[in-house]
Amino acid sequence: MEEYLKIEREKEWRADLRKTIKNKERIELQRVKMPSLDPMERIKYQDREVNLGLDIQSAKAEAVRCMDCVNPTCIEGCPVSINIPKFIKNIERGEVLEAAKALKETSALPAVCGRVCPQEKQCEANCFYTLKLKKEPVAIGFLERFAADFEQNSDTISVPETAPGNNIKVAAIGSGPASLSFAGDMVKLGYDVTVFEALHEIGGVLKYGIPEFRLPNKVVDIELESLRKMGVKFERNFIVGRTASFNDLKEEGFQAFFVASGAGLPRFMNLPGENYNGILSSNEYLTRVNLMHAAQDNYDTPVLKGKNVAVIGGGNTAMDSVRTAKRLGAERAMIVYRRSREEMPARVEEVHHAEEEGIEFLNLNNPVEYFADENGRVNRMRVQKMELGEPDASGRRRPVVIEGSEYDIPVDVVVVAIGVSPNPLVPSELPDLKVSRWGTIDVDPETMQSSMPELFAGGDIVRGGATVILAMGDGRKAAAGMHQYLLTANKTNKEKIEAKAK
Amino acid sequence: MANLKTQFFGLELKSPVIAASSSMTADLNQIKKLAKAGAGAIVLKSIFEEEIDTQLQEELTKSRDLEPDPEYLDYFDYIIKDENLKDYTNLIKQAKEAVDVPIVASVSCISASDWVLFAQKLAEAGADALELNLFLLPADVYKTSYHNEQFYFETIKKVLEVVSIPVSIKISHYFSNLGNVVKKLSETGVAGITLFNRFYSPDIDIRNETVIGADVLSHDNDYLLPLRWTGILSSKIDCPLSATTGIHAAETVIKFLLAGASAVQVASVLYNGGAEMISQFNEEIAEWMDEKAYTEINDFKGKLAISSKHVAVYERAQFMKYFSAKRY
Repeated sequence: MEEYLKIEREKEWRADLRKTIKNKERIELQRVKMPSLDPMERIKYQDREVNLGLDIQSAKAEAVRCMDCVNPTCIEGCPVSINIPKFIKNIERGEVLEAAKALKETSALPAVCGRVCPQEKQCEANCFYTLKLKKEPVAIGFLERFAADFEQNSDTISVPETAPGNNIKVAAIGSGPASLSFAGDMVKLGYDVTVFEALHEIGGVLKYGIPEFRLPNKVVDIELESLRKMGVKFERNFIVGRTASFNDLKEEGFQAFFVASGAGLPRFMNLPGENYNGILSSNEYLTRVNLMHAAQDNYDTPVLKGKNVAVIGGGNTAMDSVRTAKRLGAERAMIVYRRSREEMPARVEEVHHAEEEGIEFLNLNNPVEYFADENGRVNRMRVQKMELGEPDASGRRRPVVIEGSEYDIPVDVVVVAIGVSPNPLVPSELPDLKVSRWGTIDVDPETMQSSMPELFAGGDIVRGGATVILAMGDGRKAAAGMHQYLLTANKTNKEKIEAKAK
Repeated sequence: MANLKTQFFGLELKSPVIAASSSMTADLNQIKKLAKAGAGAIVLKSIFEEEIDTQLQEELTKSRDLEPDPEYLDYFDYIIKDENLKDYTNLIKQAKEAVDVPIVASVSCISASDWVLFAQKLAEAGADALELNLFLLPADVYKTSYHNEQFYFETIKKVLEVVSIPVSIKISHYFSNLGNVVKKLSETGVAGITLFNRFYSPDIDIRNETVIGADVLSHDNDYLLPLRWTGILSSKIDCPLSATTGIHAAETVIKFLLAGASAVQVASVLYNGGAEMISQFNEEIAEWMDEKAYTEINDFKGKLAISSKHVAVYERAQFMKYFSAKRY
C-alpha cells in the first residue's frame, strides 16, 4: 500500500501540480461551504436533496487546499482506503473523470459515501489541517461527492476492469453496502457473483433507511448499474433460508457465502403504553416512506402523519425520522434524547440541518410512559428530565434521572429510534453458526470468516449496527478472505477430482 | 408436636426460616435442596440495578476488532435490562415448577425509576411475593435525610400501584429516626419489613495500600443489631417484621421470634453448612417449643418485645450500669 501511494505521488503530474502553488498559500484558503436548499422550502419535499453539491470552480478551489502530504494521514481514517490525495489532485488539475476512477479503485459506492460518511470522524478527522494546524480540514466528503456526481452525470461512467470469469459461484445475502462492496471486489477477481435480496429493491439501508433528501435513490441506482455492468447478478424477493436454504444453494453450485443481512430488527424500550397505536419503530417509519413511497399520494402504502411527532433517540436514524416527520407536515417535530446535544451520535451535518429545519431538540429528556385516547391512539408521552452524572466506562457522562421531574408532552406519533438489532434469520437457519449473546455473527476480524469455513459475514450483522462505510470495508475484507479460502478449497477440490480420475 | 407455621411476605409459611437472597438461590438445584430442607420461603437472588450498569460498562469498553457505530450502543442498557429480566423470569418459572415452597422475587434498586416496570414483570412471571431491597448508603454529602427517605416512600408507592402480589421491603439501619421511619413504612401497605440489609464492607490492605472487600459472610454477633430493633419496633408497627444477618444457630432464630419477628432470613449459615441447616434449625426450634409446651409460634412470638419492663435494656446502651463499676 505504501509503495503504491508513493509511486502515485511521485508521478510527474502530481509533482508539477504541487509546485504550482506554495503550501503557505494553500493554507491561507478558507474551506468551501456546501450550498443547500433553503430550510423552510426544503421541508415541503421528501425527495429534494438538501445539499446541492459543489460546482467545478468551488471544487477546484477546495482541491487546492490539499497539500498532497508525503504521509497522507487522511487515508488512515478511511475504512476502504481510498487514495484521497490522488482523487483530490485530479480534481485540482481538472481531470474529474480520472478522480472518479481513482475513487472506484477501492470504493464501489463513491456517490453514496460522499453524502453519508461521518467524515468528521474519519478522513477529515485525520487531515493534516485538523491534526496539526487546528484548522478546518479539506472538505474530502464534498469533493468525493463532486467527483462521483460529475461522472454519474457525464456520458462516460467508468466500469472497473474485471478478470476473466473463473466460473466459481459465490453468493452474497443482503444487498446493502457490505454486499455491494463485496460483490464489486469479487467480480473484479473473476468470480460469478449473485446478490440475494429479500426485498423487492436492491440497496438495503441505502434505499429503505436513508431518506431521499440525504441520498436520492436515483444516485444509488446509478452505482448499482456499474456493478451490473461488471457482471454482478441480483436476485430480488429472495429470502435465503426460506425461499431456498443454504443447502439448496450449495446444490446449485454456490461454493461460498457472504452473509450481510444487516441489523434491521427494531428495538423498543418496553415502556408502559408503548404498544398503543401511533408508536412505531424507526425501521417501519422510514421503510414506509423511503422504500414504499408512503409520502406520495399515488402510492398505496400509508404512513402515520402527526401534528406532534416525537422521535426518541439521537443517532442518524433519529435525525432521518424526525426530518421525515417534518416533511410529512408535523407542526412540532421533536427529538427526545436523554443526553446533551453535544453527545448525540448523529453526523454533525445532520444535526445542523435538522436545527435549520425547525426540529425541536428536547435534550436531557427520556420517555417513561405513554397514554392514549379512547381509541387506543397515543395522545400523551410522559418524560423524565435527566442530568449528566459521572462518566461511564466509555468516557461519556451518564444520564441520571432527576427524581420527580416527570411532565407530559402531547404527541400523536412517536418514532422509536434507539438502535437496532441483528437480523435473526440466518443464525436461526444455521444452528452450527457461532453467534454472540446479542445475535451478531462471530467472525475472524482479518478475514471475516465465520465458524463455518464457507461462510463469511460483514456489516451490521457482525458489528451490531454500523455505518455504510464500515460495512463496505467489511465487504472488501471478506472478498479478500473468501478469495484466499476458495483458492485453497479449490486446490482440494481439484486434487479430489484428479484422484477420482486415476 | 410443635407447629412452625408463620406469616410473612403476605404469605402463609410452614417455617419461620427463610432462605435469603444469595448465590444459592440463583441455582435451581440449590433451590430444590432448600425446599426439601423445609425453608418457609425462598427469596431468589436479587437483581441489582448496579449489575445492569456493570454489564453495560463491560459492553461499552470491551475491546472489539470490529467496532459498531456509537448509535448501536447508545441505548444498550435497555437491551441488557431486557435480557436480565428474561433470565430472571425464567428462573421464577423454573423454580415455581420445581418446588412448592413460596418463591419470592427480589429487586435491589438505588433509584426509583424504571424498576417499577421490572417489578410488574416479575409479578406477572408468577412470583408469589416481591421483596424490594431498598438500601441506600447515605454517603452523598449533598442529599438530606428528607431526600433519602423520599426514595423509600416513592419507590414503594410506585411499585404498589402496579403490582398485585404482596410487596415486602428490606431496609438498612441508616436512619437517624429509625423508629419513626419504620413506623411510617409499615403504614404504606407493604406486607412486611426485613431488618436489616447488610452492606459489604470495605477494608484496607496495608501491604498493597489498596481498598479491598472485607469478609462477605456474616459473623456470629452480627445479629445483635437487628435483634435490638426487632425488640423495640415489633409491637409498635403496622406490619410483620423479619430479621436477617448473623443468624447462625436455631437459638438465634428463637431469640428473634421472642423479640417479635415473624420470620428470619438466613444466608451465610447455608454457605457454611449447606441447605440442610434449615431442617436442623426447624428440628431444634420444634424441640425447644415442645420443651416449653408451645404448640405454635404465636404462643410465644413477641413475648420479649419491648414493654415497659424491657425498655431500659433495649433502648439504652446500659454502658454506665454494666461497666462503670469495673476496675482495671
